Amino acid sequence: MAGSLSRGRRYVLLLLLLCGFGVVLFRLVTLQVLQAAELSVKADRQHQKTVSLEGARGTIVDRHGKVLAMNVEVPSVFGVPNTVESPLKTARQLSPILHVRTDELERKLRQDRRFVWLARKLDPEQGRRLDRLSLDGIGVVMEGRRFYPKGPLLAHVLGFSGMDGEGLEGIEHRYEPYLHGEKRMMVLQRDALGHTVFPKGMTERSPTPGHSLRLTIDEVIQYIVERELEDAVGSARAKSGTMIVLDPKTGAVLAMAVSPRFDPNAVSALSPDRWRNRALTDAYEPGSTMKAMMAAAAIEERVVRPNTMVFGEHGRMTVANTVIHDHERLGWISFAQVIQKSSNIGAAKTGMALGEHRLYRYLQAFGFGQRTEIDLPGEGVGLVRDPKDWGRRSVASISIGQEIGVTPLQMVSAVAAIANNGVLMKPYVVSEIRDADNHILRQVPPQTRRRVISPETARSVTKILEGVVTDGTGTNAAIPGFRVAGKTGTAQKIDPRTGTYSASRFVASFTGYAPADNPQLAMIVVIDEPQGDTRGGAVAAPVFSRVGEQVLSYLGVPSNAPITLAMASRKS
Amino acid sequence: MKTVTVFLGLCLVFVFVWERVDVVRIGYQIERLKRDKTVLERQRDELRVKFSTLSASDRIAKLATEKLGMSLPQQGQIIVVQSRPSGVPPSGIALVELKVARNDLPSGRF
Repeated sequence: MAGSLSRGRRYVLLLLLLCGFGVVLFRLVTLQVLQAAELSVKADRQHQKTVSLEGARGTIVDRHGKVLAMNVEVPSVFGVPNTVESPLKTARQLSPILHVRTDELERKLRQDRRFVWLARKLDPEQGRRLDRLSLDGIGVVMEGRRFYPKGPLLAHVLGFSGMDGEGLEGIEHRYEPYLHGEKRMMVLQRDALGHTVFPKGMTERSPTPGHSLRLTIDEVIQYIVERELEDAVGSARAKSGTMIVLDPKTGAVLAMAVSPRFDPNAVSALSPDRWRNRALTDAYEPGSTMKAMMAAAAIEERVVRPNTMVFGEHGRMTVANTVIHDHERLGWISFAQVIQKSSNIGAAKTGMALGEHRLYRYLQAFGFGQRTEIDLPGEGVGLVRDPKDWGRRSVASISIGQEIGVTPLQMVSAVAAIANNGVLMKPYVVSEIRDADNHILRQVPPQTRRRVISPETARSVTKILEGVVTDGTGTNAAIPGFRVAGKTGTAQKIDPRTGTYSASRFVASFTGYAPADNPQLAMIVVIDEPQGDTRGGAVAAPVFSRVGEQVLSYLGVPSNAPITLAMASRKS
Repeated sequence: MKTVTVFLGLCLVFVFVWERVDVVRIGYQIERLKRDKTVLERQRDELRVKFSTLSASDRIAKLATEKLGMSLPQQGQIIVVQSRPSGVPPSGIALVELKVARNDLPSGRF
């Protein structure tokens, strides 16, 4: 009896066990087979974290590798409002660190949202202070912030990038496809405590940083140019100023400056007018600097020779019922003197002898009325009208730099062509692109655009332009110990109210190159609306001289004039 | 035979479990090293920016003039002389003619 009961109990127990295993099996089948897909997604959601990562933006360096712009990871602070217990208390604690008003922070923390930015791209020290606070509902993530360690230096060329790291102006904008880092989503595994263990696939790689750019710009030359230009604009009480330094043999831009400057580290409060690169966007009537190109065209076409005599009409000549004046009452002078003394009448007569078609052809050949195709955004074309739209005075006017609009970059490129034995080069600012592993991806060689004049003509014009500096209107551009060739320009601006030339607003300029016998630098200085003495020879030429002397010295270009060394002995 | 099979089975299970644990441990290690690398890279970048800021020509000129009492050379005071080792014939740019004069200047001036 006991044995049968025992057997009965055993069956019951077996049945219970089978039922138990059956339930477990049923649950297993439900979880592993029927709900497998749904639960797998849920598990992944809990164990995996998908993050959007972006490689650092590429660095920009000068031609010697000095850093001009680079990214550094800095903290950004966010809040999760529904997990903040006391928004007011938290806001009070954050306010002195973030430098944001308490009521503004509190308002953000009371929003019915899952995520809210409280402050972005702070200084690293602010992040460390926040870490020490360890507040509930407040988090810190690292984001790339663009730094321009030289401050305002080269700001108009570099441009700047926006809050989300995209290039908005200048090189930052033009080279955006190269500079921005790779964006990719990465899946990370998390443990039970939420700590990241490792990427889901061990072969996943971090996003690649952006490419780096090496510029043709030299930081020291840029500094010299900006300092001298700021001084000149300040002392002339001018509206603005522009200066460009080119290597005439290659077209490489060594410096490009606009005054007033701005700091690309803090652009939010500035108007777009402040960051416009006037060196290549703004066209101006060049005035007498255009006579250098007119002279080159006339000599190349054998219309004149440097010693051809031209009658100066005693300082007054009528063309198409308008009067052209000279600042001196000149009689018979050589063509070289026409340029050296900047005679409007002599230049107008030569231009008329050249004729509109040839003049227009040379304007185009020198690159006026077209973009230089420099690798910077926003370049203007200037204004060169088609000859069919020219008036009866146009040939005379254009010969003296009126009725034509040029950018400072176009003008210095044209002058550099004379310096470069008559060959026009394409100006450029980026010389090299390297990837994150420092491998060269692209090297930019100098590019020839075309031959404009013959080497003989270029030598003749150089000799004439040297006379401008030794005996003419540009004596203030002289650089001790070096031969300098150049041309002054003083152009009246058009009064927008009357549409006629203003008697009080001028653009003073000087453009040229040095040393004249082996040009290393082609430069232009443009001062907009100087007060007091407004002549290019008085306002712009001294800047050319000061910059030229310092830059030639910096480049180690030896003086070619006999020099006397004074050896001092100290009296003790 | 049975004992050996069970033992081998247990060994396999042990190896499997040990491998999984090791993978997790190495995963944590990799993550820690990655974090260290990130921190070091961040420090390197901060230092590069700091170096670039401190070596800006603008700042150095300001320190030189305001703190050290230095001044920029006046026009004509900069003379670059091309030197030539003796016996080497000149080429390229014409060499400068040097005229050396001897002057007695007051003490403290050069």
